[in-house]
Parts: sequence; C-alpha cells; structure tokens
Amino acid sequence: MPRTSRFEGRLLIAPLTAFLIALLGFPLVLDIIYSVSRVGFENIRAPEPIGFSNYAKAVADPEFWAAAWFSLRFGLIVAVIQVVAGLMLAVFLAPLFAKRPWLIALLMLPMMVAPALVGLMYRLILHEFVGAVPYYLLEWYGDFPAFLGRDWAFTTLVTVETLQWTPFALLILHSSYAAISPDIREAAALDGARGRRLFVNIDLPLMLPALGLTFFIRFIDSFRVFDNLYTLVGPGAGGSTTSMSIYIYQAFFKVGDIGLAVAASMLLLAASFVVLWAINGLTARKAPL
Amino acid sequence: MTRLKTLLTGAALFAALGASGAMAEVTVLGWPGGPEEAGLRKAADAYNATASDADKVKLIFFNRDGFFDKLAADLAAGSTDFDVNLLATYALGRYAPFMEPITLPDASKATFPEKVLATMQYDGKQYGIPTDLSLHFMYYRTDLVEKLLSDADWKAKYGEISEKYLGKKLEPKDPDAWTWEDWMATALFFTKAINSDSPTRYGTVLQMKNLLFNMMVWHSAARAEGGDWMNEAGEITVDSPAYRTALDIYKKLYDEGTSPKDSTTYEFAEANAAFGAGQAATMLQWNAAFGDLDNKEKTPAVAGKVGTVAPPTGPAGRFTHIHGLGLGINKASKNKDGAVKFLNWLGTPDAMEIYAKAGGSPALSDAVVEKVSAERPDLVKLGQYAGAYGFVMHGGTAAKALQVYELQAKEFTAYWVGDKSIDDALTAAKTGMAELLKP
Repeated sequence: MPRTSRFEGRLLIAPLTAFLIALLGFPLVLDIIYSVSRVGFENIRAPEPIGFSNYAKAVADPEFWAAAWFSLRFGLIVAVIQVVAGLMLAVFLAPLFAKRPWLIALLMLPMMVAPALVGLMYRLILHEFVGAVPYYLLEWYGDFPAFLGRDWAFTTLVTVETLQWTPFALLILHSSYAAISPDIREAAALDGARGRRLFVNIDLPLMLPALGLTFFIRFIDSFRVFDNLYTLVGPGAGGSTTSMSIYIYQAFFKVGDIGLAVAASMLLLAASFVVLWAINGLTARKAPL
Repeated sequence: MTRLKTLLTGAALFAALGASGAMAEVTVLGWPGGPEEAGLRKAADAYNATASDADKVKLIFFNRDGFFDKLAADLAAGSTDFDVNLLATYALGRYAPFMEPITLPDASKATFPEKVLATMQYDGKQYGIPTDLSLHFMYYRTDLVEKLLSDADWKAKYGEISEKYLGKKLEPKDPDAWTWEDWMATALFFTKAINSDSPTRYGTVLQMKNLLFNMMVWHSAARAEGGDWMNEAGEITVDSPAYRTALDIYKKLYDEGTSPKDSTTYEFAEANAAFGAGQAATMLQWNAAFGDLDNKEKTPAVAGKVGTVAPPTGPAGRFTHIHGLGLGINKASKNKDGAVKFLNWLGTPDAMEIYAKAGGSPALSDAVVEKVSAERPDLVKLGQYAGAYGFVMHGGTAAKALQVYELQAKEFTAYWVGDKSIDDALTAAKTGMAELLKP
C-alpha cells in the first residue's frame, strides 16, 4: 500500500479510534484503577492502592462463585430452551408466516417491554392476593405453589425470561429457515428425503450458524440477567437468586465495597473475553470450509 | 423593518428565557411515591406562594427502589442537581461527609420534641429537619379480635391451638396487652389451615424478603426479647438467646403456614395487599400503612375494622424500632442560602401543619399536634409510641449501619427458609458485623 494511502486510511479512522478510546478506554482504565484500590463512596475521588487484594477477596468469596454458578446455569438453561422453542415455532409456523407475515410482528411484542417492567408485571400476576394465576389455581385446584418462594423462584425466572425472549430466537431462526433455497429441498425430495430426514439432514445443518449465533446471543443476554430478576425476587432469601450482575450491584451499592465490585466485574470481563476469543478462533478456523 | 422587529422580539424572548433559566431556585430531592411526597408537594406549593423568585422551590423525585444507593452515588460525585435532599436516621453516618450541618432556628425547637430532632443528629451535629417519623404498629382486625374475646367456642379453640402449637394453653387477650406468644397464638388461631373456622386465610403476614427494611420490622421483636447489636464495650451481641428466640418466632409462624407462602418475597406493599384483602388477621407493619388500610376506597374489605397498638411485649419490655426521614443540605449545593431559608420555614409549626394534613407523618410537639389531631389522629399515637417505646439499636446510626441491616437480612432470611442453621446464620452475622462496626 502506498505511504500516502496508508496515511489517509489512518487519518480517516482516527475519529472513530478517538471515540472508542474515550468511550471504552477511559472507563476501562478507571475500572482497573478501582479494582486495585480500597475505594468506597467516601473516597471515590481518592482511591487508595492496595494491589490485587480485591481480586483475591472476590475469588475467595463463596458468594462470588455461587453467583457465577447461578448466572451460568440460568444462562445455559434459558438459552437452550429459547433456541429449541424458537426453532420449533419457526419450522411449524413457517407456512402460516408465509401467508400472514404480520403475525411475526405480533409475536415480537414481548420484546418491546422493558425487562424491569416484565418483572414487576409478573410480581403482580403471581401475587397471592392480587394476581390472576394464584387466584385461578386456588379456585380450580384448592392450592398453588409459591411461585416466588425459594423452591420455585428459579423455575419462575426461567419461565419469565423464556416467555419474553423466545420471540428473539424465533425471529432469527425464522429468517434463517426462510432463507433456505427451495431448490435444495426439492433436490433432496427427488432423492427421497421426506419429513424428519429432510429436516435433520438438510434444514438443520444449513441453519447451524444461525442456531449457534442465537444460542450465544441469548446466553450472553441471560447470563448478565439483572432487571427482571431484581424487580421480581431481588437477591432472594439468603442470596439464593443472586446473579453475577446482582452480586456486583450489591457489592457496589449495598455494601459500598467499590473495589471488590469492580474487581468482580473485571474477572467477569476477562472470562467473557476468553470465551469470545475461543469462539472467534473456532469460527475463523471453520470459515474456509 | 418587520424583519428587525422579529429579530428584536426573538432576542427579547431569548433573553427572558435565559434569565429565567439562570434564576436561582432551590431544588429539593424528596422521598418519592407515598404520603411523604404528597405532603412535600403541598408544603412546597405553600412556600412558593410567598417566596421570592430566587428562593422558590422545585421538587424532584427518584424512584423509591434503590433510592439510597442512587443518592449515595450522586452525593459522592458532588452532584449539584439538588440543593436539599432526603436523609434517614439509619443512613446519617453514610451521608454526613457529603452534607452541610445546619443550625436549627428556635421555631424548629418548638415544633419537634428533642427526641425527634435527635433522629437527624450525627456526631453531635444537626443534619436535617425531621419531616417524618417511622415506627411500627401491630395492626389487627378489630371485628375478629372482638369476637375472639367474647365467643366461648372461639376461646376454647384458641386454648386448644395454643396448647398444641406453643406447648401452653393461652387465653385470648386485648391486643394492647399481647406478649409475642399471644400474637403467635392469635396468628395460629386465625390460620385456615390450622383452624377451619377462621374467617381469614392467614393469621398474620410476615415481611421476610431479603431486604434491609424488613430487618427493622423484625427488630421490634428482637429488642423485646432483650437483643441488641452490641454492648457498651462495643462487642457484637447478636449471637444471643434473645436473637434466637426472636428469629424462631418468625420461623415458627412461617413454617406453620400462618403467613402466605410467598412471604419470603414480601415487603411493605405485598403485606398491605394481604391485610387489605381481608385475608390476614394481624400484621406487624410500618405506621405509614394505616392511612391506606383504613381508606374505604382503597381497601374496602378492612377499612373501619383496622386496630393499631404498639408491638407486643417481651421479657425485656415493649419496643418499636424508630427512625426519622428528614431533609438536609447537600454540601455541593450552589444555593445554600436558599436551601437554609426553605428548611427554616419547613421547621415551623405552620409548615408542618400543612405537611401533616397532606399526608406526611411528622412527630410533633403536643402543642402542634393538637392542631392536626382531628384530621390525623394517628399522629397523636405516633408521638406517644415514639416517646414510650422507641429505640435504635446500639450502632444503628453508624456509618455502615445500612450494611449491617443488609447483612442481617441476608443471613436471617437464609435461616427462615431453611438454607442455613441458626448457628451458622448468627455466626456469619456476628463476624460480618464485627468488621462493619469496628471503630
């Protein structure tokens, strides 16, 4: 590349680089400083350096690992359910969507509601004295489970998250399914492939990239769950529904241990980076195929 | 010429807008979404009616959820978005470094009793005007308790139930004479699953969510049993028989089904919904709930049948947790003079009369409360209970008091739902408190 073009290229990309440094670089540097400091609200402008003890404290804290395990379990379960449900809906409702595409817009509506409001809404719906669900269960069966209690909270949260975000999986998978060329299906049909065999051997392999992408987007989104969980059950009795985001929020605002909160978030950032780097590596290696 | 006139008019309008934008005003950050907000709005309207333009008050409100966390972040960042902000007794130590101490005018000393003014004091300095006092009432259904005290069959059943579940035969008593055991027996009696004749589904409704405010409610039981956070020597004393007994009162009531299954996610609003639906016979709750519960439009099922007394008596006496909400001056404020003027006015008997009539709950001196007692009879009781039974745990205004409440909420709710043994929960609370409250 001629030297002038290279210079022009750098010049043109400079504003974007400066923008990214200002928006991402500054908070990152601040986070790194806080994570190696003793800092609370009292000395937020004058943190006291203490080395890596905040990281040691987070790693030694069983509640940090409990929160990480909660988020991992929640993220994996919810992502799997949403992908499977989204795939089923995309395939079974495909003929209907082809004739009436406006139905897709209708199914997207749950995504339009802010997650915090969804949490509040279900808190009302599931409340024994004002909610419809316990009322009818009591009328019909004489009893109902404590939906937000310790034993049911996780199931309720998974259900609420699934109901709100399965439409997202449906949208991506429907696009992917609709994009498969009819010629390929026709050719497979000429070779005798029908029904399940056609789906497993033709449709599914062609949809794999979309399935993978949907899974990872939903996993990342569910792993960092905060809003609806916080408004629905909070950290739970004894901290039983504390996700990583709630752990960090509690350490920052409730306990006022900003150093610990930021160190925990930096560990989360590092873990996320490793996972994304691995995915990127895998994708890059498979690309030539 | 026409264009010139337009330009001049535009310039004049711009200048006028600029002038009004630059006009000094006092921005007040209040406690949102309740009677306190309604009271503050009326008081501000009254103040603005006579204040000069430079001193007029503008009100802003955050969401109640996470209010104190957001306030802490704003104060620490030196925000100048508000001049006056909410203060609470239990958060005084946390916010004091970012607040400006005030000098009380004589009018304030005549408006509030000394004990109430002290709820806004930290480290020997006054940080705010105490606008609201919060304590606990034992709410009960007067119609149900009257029948219990007079019906022979109900009395006999009450004795049987208390003997079966508490190990001793008790007789129904007037709520004002209840011990904690009497309350437990009443809650058991009015639980449908235990007594099929009970007109209510539950005998009580407990607030057991992992939330600091719920610890304050439960503390009235802990203190009545003789519990405290620390002794005079500064040693943490929560691992005591008193704390164990008080924790077991809640656990027993929850395990026996006297409170809704979801009680472990209940706080102020959910408990009110249960009591207001007419499905809970008793409730230990904040005094602020009375207005709505006794309102025929809001809770027709129980309005007119709501009795209130101070919390039950324990071996150490009768107690209610007490704390104040108030308004103080942001250290970073750019209009401290205007803020002082507003607070001086707010502390006068006339201002507090407006505030109380509009829904606020100030604890006022006898002479001032007389003026509002016809419309707000609960304020008379508020003052009496605060004086007779009010307490603050030893260490309850420390800089990290809020974190202590949070810690206890986490550990004790773990015990109540069976995730931890009482020994483990108390040991964890003691260890954490020693760290938080060390000098």
